[in-house]
Amino acid sequence: MWESFGFEFVNFYFVPGIVLGCIYALGAIGITLTFGILRFANFAHGEVMMTGAYVTWTIMALTGALFGWALHPLIAAIPSVFLMILVFFVVDRFFYKPFRKAPTIKVVMASFGMMLVIRSLVQILWGPNQITFVKGIAKPNSFIRELTGSMDMMILVPNKHFLIMGGTVVIVMLLGYLLTYTRIGKAMRAVSDSPDLALVTGIDVEVVIRATWIVGGACAVAAGVFLATDIQMLETTMGFRMLLPMFAAAILGGIGKPYGAVLGGLVIGLAEELSSYPWIGDAPLLSPGYKSGVAFSIMIVMLIVRPSGIFKGRTF
Amino acid sequence: MDQLIGYFLYFCSLLAVGGIYSLIALGLNVQWGFAGLFNVGIAGFVSIGAYTYALLTTDTSPLHYGGLGLPLAVGIVAAMVASGLISAIIGVICIRLRSDYLAIATIGIAEIIKLVLKNNSEITNGPRGINKIPRLWENFTEERFYNDWPMSWFASAETWQSIFSSLPRWWWQPCFALSIIIAVYVVYRLLEKLRLSPWGRMMTAIRENEPAAHAAGKNVTGRRIEAFILGSMIMGLAGAVLAMHLRLIEPTNTFDPSKLTFLVWVMLIAGGSGNNRGAILGSFLIWVIWSASEIVINVGINVIDDFTNIHVGILSTRAGYLRMLLIGLLLQYILQKYPLGILPESRPTASSKT
Amino acid sequence: MRKSIYSCIAALVVVSGANADVKVGNPMAMTGPIPDLVAPMALAVDLAEKHINEQGGMFASGEEYVIVRADSMCDPVAGVDAVTKLINVSGVVGIVGPVCSGGTIAQAESVSIPAGVVTLSVSASAPAISNMETGTDLVFRTAASDAYQGVALAELALAKGITDMSVSYANDDYNAGLAAVFAEHYAANGGKIHLNEAHEPNKASYRSEVATLGANTENLALFAYYGSGGITLMRNAMETGAFSTFLGADGMLAQEVIDQLGAENLTNATFTTSTSDESTPGYAAWSALAAAADLNPLGPFVPNSYDAAFMMALAIEKAGSANRDLIAGALRAIGNGSGEVILPGEWAKAKKIIAAGGDINYNGGSGPQDFDANGDVAGDFSASVVKDGVWVGKIIK
Repeated sequence: MWESFGFEFVNFYFVPGIVLGCIYALGAIGITLTFGILRFANFAHGEVMMTGAYVTWTIMALTGALFGWALHPLIAAIPSVFLMILVFFVVDRFFYKPFRKAPTIKVVMASFGMMLVIRSLVQILWGPNQITFVKGIAKPNSFIRELTGSMDMMILVPNKHFLIMGGTVVIVMLLGYLLTYTRIGKAMRAVSDSPDLALVTGIDVEVVIRATWIVGGACAVAAGVFLATDIQMLETTMGFRMLLPMFAAAILGGIGKPYGAVLGGLVIGLAEELSSYPWIGDAPLLSPGYKSGVAFSIMIVMLIVRPSGIFKGRTF
Repeated sequence: MDQLIGYFLYFCSLLAVGGIYSLIALGLNVQWGFAGLFNVGIAGFVSIGAYTYALLTTDTSPLHYGGLGLPLAVGIVAAMVASGLISAIIGVICIRLRSDYLAIATIGIAEIIKLVLKNNSEITNGPRGINKIPRLWENFTEERFYNDWPMSWFASAETWQSIFSSLPRWWWQPCFALSIIIAVYVVYRLLEKLRLSPWGRMMTAIRENEPAAHAAGKNVTGRRIEAFILGSMIMGLAGAVLAMHLRLIEPTNTFDPSKLTFLVWVMLIAGGSGNNRGAILGSFLIWVIWSASEIVINVGINVIDDFTNIHVGILSTRAGYLRMLLIGLLLQYILQKYPLGILPESRPTASSKT
Repeated sequence: MRKSIYSCIAALVVVSGANADVKVGNPMAMTGPIPDLVAPMALAVDLAEKHINEQGGMFASGEEYVIVRADSMCDPVAGVDAVTKLINVSGVVGIVGPVCSGGTIAQAESVSIPAGVVTLSVSASAPAISNMETGTDLVFRTAASDAYQGVALAELALAKGITDMSVSYANDDYNAGLAAVFAEHYAANGGKIHLNEAHEPNKASYRSEVATLGANTENLALFAYYGSGGITLMRNAMETGAFSTFLGADGMLAQEVIDQLGAENLTNATFTTSTSDESTPGYAAWSALAAAADLNPLGPFVPNSYDAAFMMALAIEKAGSANRDLIAGALRAIGNGSGEVILPGEWAKAKKIIAAGGDINYNGGSGPQDFDANGDVAGDFSASVVKDGVWVGKIIK
């Protein structure tokens, strides 16, 4: 039946891959910055994404109950961002900071523990059942559908996907400005490239670390809210399920390279979706049961072949 | 009396599961404590051991490949060999990676192993898993064992049947627990010997100062792969014992990383990494806390229910998460207050006998 | 040393509870992959406990019937540990069952069969459970085997005139088994299956899956839990317009599906579940009780849970004492199809008949609950469609 649309590949494999890739990309930005600046793999990052989405939903539900109208997720996400940045600060102060001088492994273990703590807290507070984020199904944007349909290349993309893709572009551009033109952004890049040299030039590392949590936290909440917008529901393991692909994206792009993370996220997202495209014959190239293995395989191959990633990030 | 036997049997089960975790933690201690290899794919290696054992020793079944019905000892050895072989391949490829990278790589590999076990239903019965796995001691009461050698050499089937029916129903439980404890002890002695051997000292040297060890002409990569394989073989052994204990294994929930991989890391860190006795102590301690905390939390909820008007329905459905939260916080506490674990690593002194 | 002190304390705390109660263990997957399906099932078990104690409790002395709940997490490791504690520390007479098939088989083979304790599962439906035992008769269930439901669903599809389908199943123990039975029976009876693919549960997107599956057909047989990917897959299928007709089983039958996808989008979705014949007096009694307690009488495995807890109590009462060895025989005595009919909630009546030495036959809300030689029950199945914003089931004849 797809032949009649003529644009099956784009609509059902390419665009969904890009959307998934955008979410991975936003999450991977935080991971790659933490990895580059604080020098550890933060396993709790996915949980912050998830918690951010839960808080956003709660704010929407609260305004809905109080005033009769629910805030748009993107507006409700703003207070959520502040709250999650606060969570990052608290976690950093009490659970990560004591290990600044200790071997990396300790703080990685601590972040692993925080992952469990944050997730179980959310499960206790909100309950383990899934929550509806946005009701109903999202039909493809009718304007674009008509427009492209008349040109014989009908594009079927729902509004929520335009929102996610557009939002990601805006956030990445803001991030680019921050890193290229502001003092603190330059400091962050400097610490990421060479901590010792940065220290010599008088950069306050603690300030840079705080900035990292702010940027990482904001991107994580954005990723969480976009994910919730896409799947239209919330569940407590949604962050953890994104974590490994996001690690894969960060490694693929090169550790400490935010643009690399964005590119890596897009590649991983596309690879996952395209792996089950029927390239040969009618059946999927790879059984969809193996779909999540694609990201891991790319990650492992990359680690072995070129651990510095596409953008030549740090290797330790 | 029945109640006392009940407590005794629960104690046996704590020993058995604690022993299984001790084996895994000892394996991890070889990799992490000795060689500094950050393996977060424990569940993968344990599952290879468990599946190998299960496929080789279960009776023929239409649901999955085999089972071949081989003797238990063959299954156990094969579990270790299979886990060792897979880890050798992984080791050769990944061993050069730095700790965080190795962690991410192994976690990915464990996920891939899980996907393979899940998707090859004709061999592994897919997500439905393998059941009727023979358990040491208990298996003697199964017909196919007492009808066959070596049991049939000693007595006829009828004699065996009458012996088993004269024993209390739970006779094999203490035996099974004891066997696991003996296995833990044997592995522990071997590892202690190894730790004090030149090989063990070289491992410490490599872990602490790799360039120096390299400059001293040591084959750093080779030693590391050896440690990785040895640790994985012990994990494979633990997998075989875990399969015996559960009698059913399936890929998704049995080898759930948060309850297997992560809990084992907590055990090792709590007990003291680098110290074999610490690994064992940590395993038993954390498992007892984990298992008994359910009883305690439930009793606590009942107390709240009995003495207050608070509605406990919601609490009881979330008690399991409370347990996970406490384990997470316990880890943070241990990491900060006892950075070296309860039993810190003790280095063999330079003058000690080699 | 420390651990033994710890377990002693734990043991003492437990012992200090009243000893005269009749305790039954209830390992349920309160946490784990399907907490939302399990919550109403646990409430149904509690409801049975309440009814029994309100109507005189156990035995002539009126001892309390106590459900001791534990968390089995759908996980063999947790299930085995939970049931070990129930049997050995809490000293339960019987087990009213783990939820997932894997957990049920593991705990039964590892703990309860060796200990000689009866397991009465509420929802384990794997065919493997039927012939799991050798030489013992200790595992029963109040839910019908998948082998029946898959066939029922295949016949429903053919009866609806659907001649070609694609099958997508979540790769977990329940859905994979059900899909296999369905596909085999559907193909054997003239249906055409284009693609039969597993999907990994809990992914963020299933668009490529539905596109591939939907290339040649508009009909999808979906086997998934709504809570772990099922809703997402259906949503993706509707958004892309890949499928117009959906068939599936229990795992997707929840109000949540309607709440999230919207009733107007579900006009062509039909899901089966093991259910009760609504024309029977057993169902009428159960639905009245369930309504009084705010439970959905047709929720997946909810009546089965009530029946299991109630039958376990009947069996203990029939056995005359809280003796583990007598339960299996007594369970067969109350579930063999002969004797005075007892409906859900009729505890006082049953107690009187048993005290007088009469035979009873329990007919539950989920069916007559007569065990066959394997301890299985036959099941009725219903096909549910959305009507006025809720699932409305109709029995399949």
